[in-house]
Amino acid sequence: MNGPLPKRIWMWFAQTRVGRSIFRVGPPQSNLERSQAMVSSFLLHVQPAKVSRHALRASYTLGLGLISLYLFFILIVTGVLLMFYYVPSTAQAYDRMKDLQFVISAGLVVRNMHRWAAHLMVLSVMMHLCRVFYTGAYKQPREFNWVLGVGLFLMTLGLSFTGYLLPWDQLAFWAITVGTNIAGYAPVIGPELRFLLLGGNVVGQEALTRFYALHVIVLPALAGLMVAVHIWRVRKDGGLSRPDSPDDSVQSIPVGQLPTNKSYGLMELARGTTPQVGQNPDDEVFSWPHLIFRELLLFMLIVALVLFLAVFWNAPLEELANAVHPPNPAKAPWYFLGLQELVSYSAFWGGVVVPALLVTALLLLPYMDRRRQGVGRWFARERAVANSIFSVCVVTAIALTVIGTVFRGPNWSWVVPWQTPPAMTEGH
Amino acid sequence: MNDGSVRSFYGWFTTLGILVGVLVGLGYYRDEYRPWKEYQRRFIREEIRRAATPDQRVLAQNTLVQIRQILLPELNRVDRCTTCHLAVEDPSYGGYPQPLAYHPQHDQHPFDKFGCTICHRGQGRATSAVDAHGAVAHWNEPMLPLKYIQASCGQCHAAADNPAAPELVRGAQLFETVGCRGCHKLDGVGGNIGPELDRVGARRSPDWLRQHFLAPAAVTPGSGMPPQKFAEADIEAIVLFMLSQTGASLPGFYASMKVIPSASEGQRLFQQKGCIGCHSVGGQGGKVGPALDDVGLRRSPEWMMQHFRDPQTVSPGSVMPRFGFTEAEARALTDFLLRLRDQKVALSIPALMGPVERGREIYSKYGCAGCHGPEGKGGVPNPNAKTAEQVPGLTYVADGYTKAELKKLILRGQREIVPLDPRRPAPPLYMPAWGSTIKDPEADDLVAYLFSLKPKGEDLGF
Amino acid sequence: MNPSPPKANGVSRRGFFQLSLGWLAASFAAAATAVATVRFLVPNVVFEPDQRFKAGAPGDYPDGSVTFLEDERVFLVRRGNSFRCVSAVCTHLGCTVNRTGQGYHCPCHGSAFSGEGRVESGPAPRALAWFLVTLSKDNRLLVDKGQIVSSDKYLVL
Repeated sequence: MNGPLPKRIWMWFAQTRVGRSIFRVGPPQSNLERSQAMVSSFLLHVQPAKVSRHALRASYTLGLGLISLYLFFILIVTGVLLMFYYVPSTAQAYDRMKDLQFVISAGLVVRNMHRWAAHLMVLSVMMHLCRVFYTGAYKQPREFNWVLGVGLFLMTLGLSFTGYLLPWDQLAFWAITVGTNIAGYAPVIGPELRFLLLGGNVVGQEALTRFYALHVIVLPALAGLMVAVHIWRVRKDGGLSRPDSPDDSVQSIPVGQLPTNKSYGLMELARGTTPQVGQNPDDEVFSWPHLIFRELLLFMLIVALVLFLAVFWNAPLEELANAVHPPNPAKAPWYFLGLQELVSYSAFWGGVVVPALLVTALLLLPYMDRRRQGVGRWFARERAVANSIFSVCVVTAIALTVIGTVFRGPNWSWVVPWQTPPAMTEGH
Repeated sequence: MNDGSVRSFYGWFTTLGILVGVLVGLGYYRDEYRPWKEYQRRFIREEIRRAATPDQRVLAQNTLVQIRQILLPELNRVDRCTTCHLAVEDPSYGGYPQPLAYHPQHDQHPFDKFGCTICHRGQGRATSAVDAHGAVAHWNEPMLPLKYIQASCGQCHAAADNPAAPELVRGAQLFETVGCRGCHKLDGVGGNIGPELDRVGARRSPDWLRQHFLAPAAVTPGSGMPPQKFAEADIEAIVLFMLSQTGASLPGFYASMKVIPSASEGQRLFQQKGCIGCHSVGGQGGKVGPALDDVGLRRSPEWMMQHFRDPQTVSPGSVMPRFGFTEAEARALTDFLLRLRDQKVALSIPALMGPVERGREIYSKYGCAGCHGPEGKGGVPNPNAKTAEQVPGLTYVADGYTKAELKKLILRGQREIVPLDPRRPAPPLYMPAWGSTIKDPEADDLVAYLFSLKPKGEDLGF
Repeated sequence: MNPSPPKANGVSRRGFFQLSLGWLAASFAAAATAVATVRFLVPNVVFEPDQRFKAGAPGDYPDGSVTFLEDERVFLVRRGNSFRCVSAVCTHLGCTVNRTGQGYHCPCHGSAFSGEGRVESGPAPRALAWFLVTLSKDNRLLVDKGQIVSSDKYLVL
């Protein structure tokens, strides 16, 4: 055997009896083994043996879906660690946050990682949504995957919102007060919905317990399930979207007439159709190593980014939550600040109608847009109208968010930040 | 089987489907139809029937059927009794059958501040009658029988002079006069022959306590406690007093009325604070300030209260210092001075008493009578003790010991009691070492008292 | 190889009856379980101070006073022998309003309310809520924050 020592040790182990019982395929040496490594691995087999070159281009997807997934993993790992010290009690939660900061080894870094990864994930999920829109990758047959994606977007917001309350500081308490009051403005069901969310009439222990339950198990489990289906659908819908080419349009062929000689024959027993892959051999490369190694490198990049932020910037922790002293102004989390700006104009229209319409529009989008052109390219000319409308919405949302963040001061009055000193006065 | 048919499973599917359906329905039904809802509907019907005006009728008809609870965060309790006991605050329901009866006398202890279980015990969080009344497994605080309710007063208030709890006061007095402290510590003071009694009210039921007084060895095998001879009324009183010792540590507001201002408490304060140094009562005392026998006729209660708060404000030029009395203490002292105008009061002021008198109080204070009998007369059994199988009486102690020897015996105690028959078990009662409890000057007074027990003129010349 | 198709007539009558009954029972169980789950999540009791509270004796409040009760977040208003009680919770996003001049003002987003609780400016969508005030059986002012009334409903003694 040749090669560096670690590889030799690994190669030796992989062919021992124990090694062979665990790893059914050793380190791939031939193209066959490269295919088998993907297909016979529990963790990897959701990905195909071969991928289109186009899908590997970072400039196409920006890796945003993967980035969102990696951030989710980081959040789960750091979140579980935090669960060993955090107590969801109004009397103890804040003190536990302080303990994480001061006395628990790596507590500060873990907490910071969790917070920054959360913010980054909301951002990356939003950008992923934009990317999928601008590349027309929601069109048939990927409509349902888009719907799953919108669901995941809402899950992400829900996870971020429920987690926001847990530190039980002024920031948490008042952001959730604002958020749940907005929910209370829904017609007919508003007050009952708010009562159900809070487990009562006020933001108190019941709310903290419910938000904790939602945040650590209900939403992560749901989101995890949806992520699994979302990724599986990417496969089933024919892989990542690609620009159309005459011989490359996604076709569906009845099972039983597959021209390729795949060895895993379950599809021969299933009824229905499958999108065709492997039609353009020049365009395809083996997932092992091209896809896998890129994925690993991206993961390391994201970990490095989150670590960098966590090591140099602390997640905020304001004073202990105080129901009698609202800060002035009381602001929602940044991803809801655009919403809060709208709400300051009209609670019902801005807080209930506009978000409901936006979400409905997003969900219906792929079923309303029947045109098949413009898939697989950014800003395709054929989709100018759709892209323009969407861009207007995005820019408006960003503008509202920026206004809410930077240009609103006490009493939600207009402030120009570089002229007025920041004045966070107390209520009374 | 290989033809893919499931016909053989239809029967099973149906049976299990029906079974699951029935069980789910049953579970839901049992959860929804609770007895407390029926009690509430009954109450609402009654309120509608009694409504005098249309407004009241509408109010009654709109009453929701829901669990009612009293939140008591400081006491760490939630009392849901009012879910069924819906008319506790309405006097017009006096005489109605439970659970709709009115609860009298709640002005001093409003329900929203005290709840129910702090006095009545029971399981406040329960919503069914049997569980709420608390006589169930794994719940150590069943409801107190009503005749013992005054025991709960003793949790917050000193038993000594609580005008609303005469049974409790009687029980507390008995405890002192019978001399229980001789063997048992309470509030840190007492002998160490028997267990401390600070939490006995939380651990033992009323029945157990009764039986224990009458025949201790029957309920506690091996106990050396002599059976107590109490009249029936006294047994109830002392059991009640024991029930009041729950060891509950009450926070802020609930601990603030430990002492109920009363003339007796005022007298106790008067004796303790040394007022007699400047003022006189019944001819005894100082001459710096005026005599207080008739101050109740000359001054109003409000004047006296202000005087206690700050003498200078109502009596300019007075040399009486500001003592810093709490409102309750000032109230008690005022009541005492008011009583003085109505009746003569026998004051017991240590500075004015002689050593024998002080010694008598100390004999009572530490419960010596529990073993040595009232006024040292003896008669308390101590099986297998050489001293006639009794704890020795103290009447002739002056003949057997010098003062120094007696004092040493009291402070050091005597752990080993000489047995009558070495083959029988050792005598259970012994003399505790009182040195850590009885202070030195007290011991001198006690010895003086004990020496005075010998009847005069009986010098037997030993 | 195709699995053999079911019999031409499908399921027998007895089998159909059994299946329907079974499905009916199972659907009922599923529906009841879903309802019970949702019902489980709706709290029956809240561990918050009771919505109804006693605000003391009428005599505790001077004529013409507007008294802020911090624990209950209300203002108790007395004019002559008439009593009413207004919520101090801003209808916009729940902050506690302050008494200013003859009206009320919210420090969070600047909503201003008149003395009657009506919105004068700012983002608040509704007037401040007025609560039902009655006299309890032991002659105390009884405020029920669960019962909202119009601003001209007084308790007149």
